Amino acid sequence: MSATSSSSFDLLASGGRGKSSRTLLRVVILLFIAGAAIASRLFSVIRFESIIHEFDPWFNFRATKYLVSHGFYNFWDWFDDRTWHPLGRVTGGTLYPGLMVTSGVIYHALRALTIPVDIRNICVLLAPACSGLTAFATYLLTNEMTTNASAGLLAAAFMGIAPGYISRSVAGSYDNEAISIFLLVLTFYLWIKALKLGSMLWGALCALSYGYMVASWGGYAFITCLLPLHAFVLVCMGRYSTRLYVSYTSWYVLGTLASMQIPFVGFLPVKTSEHMPALGIFGFLQLLAFLDYVRSALPSGRQFQIFLWSIAGSVFLIGLLGLVVITSAGIIAPWGGRFYSLWDTAYAKIHIPIIASVSEHQPTAWPAFFFDLNMLIWLFPAGVYLCFQELADEHVFIVVYAVLGTYFAGVMVRLMLTLTPIVCVAAAMAVSQMLNNYLSLKSPKPEDHAVVEGADVTATKKKGGLKSTNKPVVGIYSLLSKGVVVTSMTIYLLLFVLHCTWVTSNAYSSPSVVLASRMPDGSQHIIDDYREAYQWLRQNTKDDAKIMSWWDYGYQIGGMADRPTLVDNNTWNNTHIATVGKAMSSREEVSYPIMRQHEVDYVLIVFGGLLGYSGDDINKFLWMVRIAEGIWPDEIRERDYFTPRGEYRVDAEASQTMKDSLMYKMSYYNYNALFPPGQAQDRVRGAKLPEVGPTLNTLEEAFTSENWIIRIYKVKDLDNFDRDHASAAAFDRGHKKKRGGKKRGPRVLRVE
Amino acid sequence: MAPKRHNARDITPSAAATTQAGPTTAGTVPATAAVTKPYRVSVTTKDSWAQVVGNVWSHYLKTTPQRTKLIDVFMAFLIVVGALQFLYCVLAGNYPFNAFLSGFSATVGQFVLTASLRMQTTEANKSDFPSVSPERAFADYVVCSLILHFFCVNFIN
Amino acid sequence: MKSFLSFSLLLLATLVSAISSTGDRLLAVLDDVAEKATYSKFLGDLESRGFKITYETPKSESLSLFRLGERKYDHVIFFPTKAKGLGPNLTPNLLVQFLNQKGNILLTLSSEVPAATSLVSLLTELDITLPSDRTGLVVDHFNHDVLSAADAHDVLLLPVPRPARPDVADLFASGAPADTPIAFPRGAGVLLGAGPLLTPIVRAPATAYLYNPKEQAEVLAADELFGAGAQLALVAGMQARNSARLAVVGSAEMLSDKWFDAKVTKVGEKKEVPTYNREVAKRVAGWAFQETGVLKVNWVEHRLNEAGPGANVSNPAMYRIKNDVTYKISLSQWDWDKWTGFTVPANDDLQLEFSMLSPFHRLHLAVDAAHSSPEATAYTASFKLPDQHGIFNFKVNYKRPFLTNIEEKNTVSVRHMAHDEWPRSYVISGAWPWIAGIGATITAWLAFVAVWMFSKPADARVVLKKTQ
Repeated sequence: MSATSSSSFDLLASGGRGKSSRTLLRVVILLFIAGAAIASRLFSVIRFESIIHEFDPWFNFRATKYLVSHGFYNFWDWFDDRTWHPLGRVTGGTLYPGLMVTSGVIYHALRALTIPVDIRNICVLLAPACSGLTAFATYLLTNEMTTNASAGLLAAAFMGIAPGYISRSVAGSYDNEAISIFLLVLTFYLWIKALKLGSMLWGALCALSYGYMVASWGGYAFITCLLPLHAFVLVCMGRYSTRLYVSYTSWYVLGTLASMQIPFVGFLPVKTSEHMPALGIFGFLQLLAFLDYVRSALPSGRQFQIFLWSIAGSVFLIGLLGLVVITSAGIIAPWGGRFYSLWDTAYAKIHIPIIASVSEHQPTAWPAFFFDLNMLIWLFPAGVYLCFQELADEHVFIVVYAVLGTYFAGVMVRLMLTLTPIVCVAAAMAVSQMLNNYLSLKSPKPEDHAVVEGADVTATKKKGGLKSTNKPVVGIYSLLSKGVVVTSMTIYLLLFVLHCTWVTSNAYSSPSVVLASRMPDGSQHIIDDYREAYQWLRQNTKDDAKIMSWWDYGYQIGGMADRPTLVDNNTWNNTHIATVGKAMSSREEVSYPIMRQHEVDYVLIVFGGLLGYSGDDINKFLWMVRIAEGIWPDEIRERDYFTPRGEYRVDAEASQTMKDSLMYKMSYYNYNALFPPGQAQDRVRGAKLPEVGPTLNTLEEAFTSENWIIRIYKVKDLDNFDRDHASAAAFDRGHKKKRGGKKRGPRVLRVE
Repeated sequence: MAPKRHNARDITPSAAATTQAGPTTAGTVPATAAVTKPYRVSVTTKDSWAQVVGNVWSHYLKTTPQRTKLIDVFMAFLIVVGALQFLYCVLAGNYPFNAFLSGFSATVGQFVLTASLRMQTTEANKSDFPSVSPERAFADYVVCSLILHFFCVNFIN
Repeated sequence: MKSFLSFSLLLLATLVSAISSTGDRLLAVLDDVAEKATYSKFLGDLESRGFKITYETPKSESLSLFRLGERKYDHVIFFPTKAKGLGPNLTPNLLVQFLNQKGNILLTLSSEVPAATSLVSLLTELDITLPSDRTGLVVDHFNHDVLSAADAHDVLLLPVPRPARPDVADLFASGAPADTPIAFPRGAGVLLGAGPLLTPIVRAPATAYLYNPKEQAEVLAADELFGAGAQLALVAGMQARNSARLAVVGSAEMLSDKWFDAKVTKVGEKKEVPTYNREVAKRVAGWAFQETGVLKVNWVEHRLNEAGPGANVSNPAMYRIKNDVTYKISLSQWDWDKWTGFTVPANDDLQLEFSMLSPFHRLHLAVDAAHSSPEATAYTASFKLPDQHGIFNFKVNYKRPFLTNIEEKNTVSVRHMAHDEWPRSYVISGAWPWIAGIGATITAWLAFVAVWMFSKPADARVVLKKTQ
């Protein structure tokens, strides 16, 4: 695909055709790019089927179905009594409705056009469709940065296929990020536009786009911080202008009000520290505007300016001081835990294990940058350097974004997503600059350059660029060097396409609900245990049977099995999750009352020991222990789950606490029966299990899937005769109770 | 002597001007207090302060076209309304917080938008806005204000 | 009202079919079928109350409690059998299963025949302990019948059992004549565990004790004493969580014709009085076989107790926080042959819990005369839901000795305020200044826009004039 776009350079370079044909060509190329972006995201649909992926998308899908079937107002007021049993969730007020509403609108629009489409297919294909739009928005954004049209096309192409973005937008990955990356890029484009033109209307459009973004994704805080930062940097560089005032204030006022319309956001923009920079810059700009006016009124008053600047400084300081005071007084909420974890990556692990337990909140490993961005990652600094060359307002934006985005991406894997757009833009600028220089066949003549440079300089001067943009006349005269560079660039681009395709097809197209493995003969073998188990739940349990599982599977159970769950991926209540963690990690005698109290009917666990599936609950078990320990440090201690030598083991050497824990028992219950005596083997942890498996008294095995990945246990009712479960189970197994009161010590007298 | 007296005479109306324009600095009352205090310390600063105000005022009277004055009247009105609302919030508490927010931010937003309009229609800033004609600016202004009003009315419920 | 109709239909249906509230198929297990003549009056009473009795011996091939997994009998009565075991058809596990399937058991002991091992195992599971020799003899040197057991002191004369606590239903003593004793001839006693499911019906007098006449005929060491006094239950009842009942009668002989008609004389008295055995046998069997003390919930209704839409919906699945709701429950009691309204004893209280994880409300349920009838009594409570959304249960948990367990749980969701249920700003007086602020802003804006548009040409003229 980049081949198509690079071939377009030739056309663009050679063909001095009319403007209309160029526009047509661009439209065609953009359409091709959008097509490629969509097509490359369909691997999963072709490999597997049209299915919702992962975890969170299942909730979004369920919410969308609710929206479609109950209408908007019911969705807005939705109280979901099938999650977080028995607390329930005020779902309508605690989600970002943008994604669902978008799908709902598309659905109804298609219905109105008498195209009967299943809502599931809309949900599956929404992310690829949005990626096409993202490519277009990137094109627009890049075009604002450079006069070079090919850079925009290249950026669009990069954006379309960069794995960093594909990872969150393959077909079926029906998540908030699917549409919000498009909105992110669009908002940035509109912001740059508003800033360049100083237009209220563009500012308002930016605010509306921002409002939509707020409605879609919690990551909107990135914009909320980036735009003020940009404005602040501009002011510090002495580039305050009325355009900045107009665009920033109109964006801030309208955008903040728009964001407050979302119930989940509500008063946050005036109450939390995350939003305070934006407010502070807003006030600061008012001050500057006033001072600016006064300065213009005083043509000769240099001395006054000094006073006025000191006013500005003192007001700024007073504002900052006031903010600190208000924050410490508790009127404005201090920074949330998730934000602390952005500054100190070890913070979450110590204080909020629940955040640290999520794999996508881990710090990014270096290879991940290369994996997700490939050659863009080394073109990126070049692009940023080019921005320094002609430092107009919009280029400052690129620089600020690049710095901030890189930092955040380094801290959290998930935020690689916000970095990707800027990497694509910057890299495209670098590549197009290079190709432009090397692709023109005619050797530049010095006077040509002088003219071109001169024009450039005047242009940049108008925009208030730095003086250093006066470049010496440098030209490439040798055809050989041109050929070498262009060829190698082309090869790099082709390799990039290959890499993207490979990554997409291998790493990012697995629905994770359905697993694929290779048979010895190379054919594909589908492991469908998840759906098998969820289907079992759907068909064999009461409609309101409460399922307890670790929170990872909450959304899937809600979406696929349609049963109430205790906890799910919306981890808003740490205590409730810790309760489940405690039930999983305690002895049966402790767990049972907890499960009774929460009216649990079934317990679902994931066990990979038979198949060697490493993402199972025993491997996540320590997080359960840690989270439970955070609430009940006296009852659960992480140390107890390790062997005296500090190893985490599941075999005969495992600590007694580990062996007594409900999770261990449920995982290995009856597992021995699969193997010859004494040969039981856990293939994930490579451990040989003790000869005698664990016994379960308060639970009974209800279902085990084909490959033992999912095991479901039914919680027994209280014993009919008030015996404890252990003795009742012993009686059922045929052991007679020891008779006689004398042997049990002094008999308890009955008091009436 | 004469210019001095002239200045002294001028101060009286300019006092009104500062109370009007003072809050523009940050839109808040404490800010003006902070502004005015340091200039009572010494005579020289007082003098320069008076000069500043005088210059600003005369400059304003001289160069501002009538339409812009209209804008300024409107902005002054908005400041009064906003200050009253803020005062009420401080005195009576912010119980329906959404009502306070929407009421106050409607005024602030309107003020800011009007200020933007003022900038865009001022002749001196023409070079800053190559693509925004005064008519265009006014149309933008109307659209933005409508959006603002819609949000505020919706938010106050 | 629909529920009323269906309820009365149900009532009619039960009236014609059976006498026990749960069924009339009764199995009697005897050593020898001919033995039934000994208990002819007792069994005759049962038959006359509508039970269809099947007699079997433990050895019988055809004896089985289940057929295709379903109970073949509703009730079983065990008379003492000489065999040590009861064979493969009456293993403890099968008996437990029988109880789990809501079958009822009446079990009799005797001091002469040791109880069968499977019955002992069963009782052990239920925390009812027999002496280690599986039998024993209860004697009382102060409360025996001087006519028949002047020397052995092993025919105890017991007063009619009064309830142990004031809140326990009086099923066995009500209406009994003042001084007719119960004869308890040559029986064994059991010890009951501390569990709430077990209740003694007849307890031994303070001076009674149990010993083994074969081994402890001469000396009874204190530490070998199995039980004495009120700890020793002579007749005991167990009601499982599913309300299946099991009664243990320490002396099978007590149910025999002989003791139904016997005259007895207490120690220190001359008067010969008839025994109360027949009535007690009837009442114990009646309790065990679900003829008395059976409660049922006819209907439960909760509804919104405030005007507006949804006020007429019965048992809605969802409420809103701070709604006013009314809860009603109708209870009936089966009294030998008819349903009557169940009245909670004066010193007891029927309570409603509204709970999520733990109760948010625990309320007294008052009699609702308007919805009561002779067959059913309705109870009601009205309250305001808590300010907490979630999945709540209306729970009536009424478990009393001898009465069927009532555990009625109705789950409802309590949702938050919908976006349009909050008071509008114009309702709150505190918001008026800000509404006025918005109004002023918008009005002024409109005026400004109008003036602006109007002043534009004039402005141009001004500029012209200035240039001139």
